[in-house]
Amino acid sequence: MIGSALSWLRARGRGGNAEAAQEVRRWILAVYAKETLEVVRDRRTLLVMIVLPALLMPVVILGISYLAQRQQHQIQTVVPRVAVVGQAPALIHLAYATKLIAPVRAKDPTAALRQRQVLAVVELPKNFEAIVARNGQVHVGILYDATDSESAAARGKVVDLLSRYSQEIVAARLAARHINPRDLLPVVLDQRNVATQRQQSGQLLASLLPFLLAMWAVVGGMSVAVDLAAGEKERGTLESLLITPPSREAIVLGKFLSVVTASMGGVIVVLIAMMVSLRWGYPYMLHTTQKVNISLPIGTAVVMLGVALLFSALVSAIQLAISIYARSPREAQQYITPLYFVTVLPGLAVQFVSDWARSPWAYLTPVLNAFFSFQELLLGTVNWGHLFLAAVSCAFYAALALEAAIALMSRETVIFRV
Amino acid sequence: MTGHEVLVEAENLEKRFRRYHAVRGVSFRCYAGEVFGLLGPNGAGKTTTIRMLTTVLRPTAGVARIAGHDVVQEPGAVRRLIGVLPENAGIYGRLTARDVIRYAGRLYGVPPDLLRSRLASIADALELTAHLDRLTDTFSKGMKQKVNIARALIHNPPVVFLDEPTSGLDVISARSVRDFIERFKQEGRCVIMSTHVMEEAERLCDRVAIVAGGRIRAEGRLADLQAWTGLGLEEIFVQLVEQTVA
Repeated sequence: MIGSALSWLRARGRGGNAEAAQEVRRWILAVYAKETLEVVRDRRTLLVMIVLPALLMPVVILGISYLAQRQQHQIQTVVPRVAVVGQAPALIHLAYATKLIAPVRAKDPTAALRQRQVLAVVELPKNFEAIVARNGQVHVGILYDATDSESAAARGKVVDLLSRYSQEIVAARLAARHINPRDLLPVVLDQRNVATQRQQSGQLLASLLPFLLAMWAVVGGMSVAVDLAAGEKERGTLESLLITPPSREAIVLGKFLSVVTASMGGVIVVLIAMMVSLRWGYPYMLHTTQKVNISLPIGTAVVMLGVALLFSALVSAIQLAISIYARSPREAQQYITPLYFVTVLPGLAVQFVSDWARSPWAYLTPVLNAFFSFQELLLGTVNWGHLFLAAVSCAFYAALALEAAIALMSRETVIFRV
Repeated sequence: MTGHEVLVEAENLEKRFRRYHAVRGVSFRCYAGEVFGLLGPNGAGKTTTIRMLTTVLRPTAGVARIAGHDVVQEPGAVRRLIGVLPENAGIYGRLTARDVIRYAGRLYGVPPDLLRSRLASIADALELTAHLDRLTDTFSKGMKQKVNIARALIHNPPVVFLDEPTSGLDVISARSVRDFIERFKQEGRCVIMSTHVMEEAERLCDRVAIVAGGRIRAEGRLADLQAWTGLGLEEIFVQLVEQTVA
């Protein structure tokens, strides 16, 4: 990282000889070491960077999935009370036999549904069984509350019950006509999922990981970026630093590396916490119908961290530039908060614009390029051309943001803004 | 006694911040082994002048040189020759005093062995040795100022700028800082300090410039100024500042 920063400095026409380059390297290292030491000694930063993701990831990943599955399980196992209007002893008998619903009588079925005394209402026409016996067709009404998930589930069970009842009637009518029910089903479906374990676990990871990585790339470096520039202004230490020999470039690069370190620290902790939660917590806490083997091949993990590093470099450079511009840490925090949404919201949007993933422009667009690259890597559909475009464009935008940070650090009106 | 080597030269220095003309044609020279005082009320232009001489602000017009190096053309060379204690200088609270001084030494490129010995001798001179490994957040204002002085001197600069060095300090700490300034002079350094405390200027400065409204209103040795006007330094100061305001 430092080597590439120096190459970049050389490319800008500074530090033409080895001695000058060594001096710049020494300055960058001195600033970086001091800033990182301060970060390590700051409990707030460590809390946000390490403790919070380490605790939050299992809660987010396992806790929410567990609660969702628990609710689903309850909906499936609980036999809902359903008010039946009209007479149909055979249907009621089937309901008790299958335990799909618990039929009850209600004086005012609609009011009972609204008051959640029952979860659905079945309205049978008069002479229901007589019409069925005469080979006629009956219309059955179902009342339910679509805003109530339990009522919606009860509706499903009523539909299932009526479907089974209907199948029994059909079978009896066909038998009376000496027709084999199979004759009415010329096509029998046999569906098989060809997705591998790796793809299925990749799908699960792709739905969560890019969003969480982006979130912590921003959050992990945020307080550090605010402290390193706006914080220095407020404490009155920036002027003392600017009077020392290091160039503005060296000072900004040293600080930038420290923000990137904090940001990547957050990303790595999130990645580890998520993998541990999914691999060992997922099968333990959740009952899955099929074995889900969550794993990330080491090669994929390394490339992902590479993409995350470039993304982190971009957001760190922007955060640092904003912090240098701001009058105070409070102002810097206010400016950086919208950046958080700008960088994290595309993470939620990418799953709805998957057709964009085919266009090279998506890999040149800041933020989106990282998200689409993460998705390709996790789904195992890597296009190296796309990854190259994403890496180069990410590095280019990060360099632009860094250039802006250096320009701001060199402006008197910004440094002495009050 | 002052030496003859000119270490600081300012010629018609000017600084404008958009419409505000902060410094208007300031000129003076300072020599090795001399303490030069910039005296003036708040907003007179003392800090802006010091910031131009220390390369933090770029002059709008005029020339300034430190030991012959132009502050605009050779800021890197100038920064190596100066030690600066800015007004209301803060300190890195999560670092120990040793960390702060060592950090400054690294930025100035002081070799590790020399840095170690200088740190020990400066800490000894400032009575900081027992506190070197404490976080500076736990220090009093006077102790923090001492650490900042140590940080400014770690590269042994021939020119030292002190902007209101005793501002906000208690009597004991202020005396300790003044003693240290006298030591700078004995060591042959050129010291430029801004202050609005007249007794401090009378005790420490060989020459003073009274600054008001961005201009130098009077400059010279204290004895010469007093002989010329027949007034004490404080009366001279008040009269010149009042004339400027009028």
